[in-house]
Amino acid sequence: MTLAELLPALHGLPKCEKLRAIQVLAADVAREDGEMLVPSEAAYPVWSPFDAFDGAATLMRLLKDEKAA
Amino acid sequence: MPQRFPYVEVDPILGSASALPYAPITLQLGDRKVQASGLIDSGSTLNVLPFDIGLQLGAVWDEQSVPVRLGGNLAESEARGLVLLGQIEGFAPVRLAFAWSQSNRIPVILGQTNFFLEFDVRFCGSQMFFEIAPRSSLGA
Repeated sequence: MTLAELLPALHGLPKCEKLRAIQVLAADVAREDGEMLVPSEAAYPVWSPFDAFDGAATLMRLLKDEKAA
Repeated sequence: MPQRFPYVEVDPILGSASALPYAPITLQLGDRKVQASGLIDSGSTLNVLPFDIGLQLGAVWDEQSVPVRLGGNLAESEARGLVLLGQIEGFAPVRLAFAWSQSNRIPVILGQTNFFLEFDVRFCGSQMFFEIAPRSSLGA
């Protein structure tokens, strides 16, 4: 199948599926090139609490207190 | 002996680009148990429990008196300390302290305090598996 044949079908996709197609193709290209392609304007939320040191200390105290109780 | 687990592809369309180290873990509070899938997150300073799983375990929010401050996107959601038993299949249960968040937009996160203090983890991402063993049982 050629790009010319694919384009009408791609244009007919809903917005979310167009974005998914872009992501899949970008991931394919990145894998082939061995590098990550990151869209410059994309925003990726980071949920991992990498700097919650106060919280970690609180949990350690909680473990210690529960063990002592 | 360590237990070996495969990376889990979160999005089948994205395949290995979406693969993450999720481990099956049984969480227990009193006599209630919940089977969960925990993200083994070496970049997280602590364990985090989504709100609904705490409720399934019978935890009562108003009875938890220890506030835990979280950063990043999770700072918007209040969290309180909750100690559970956690068991990886094949190993004895251990006490795990969680920041029980009011958010459900996160998975169970198994982080440095205190999952990584109880278990040694070896990531072999290039081979799409990781291994977990009770602390001090993996060789240097």
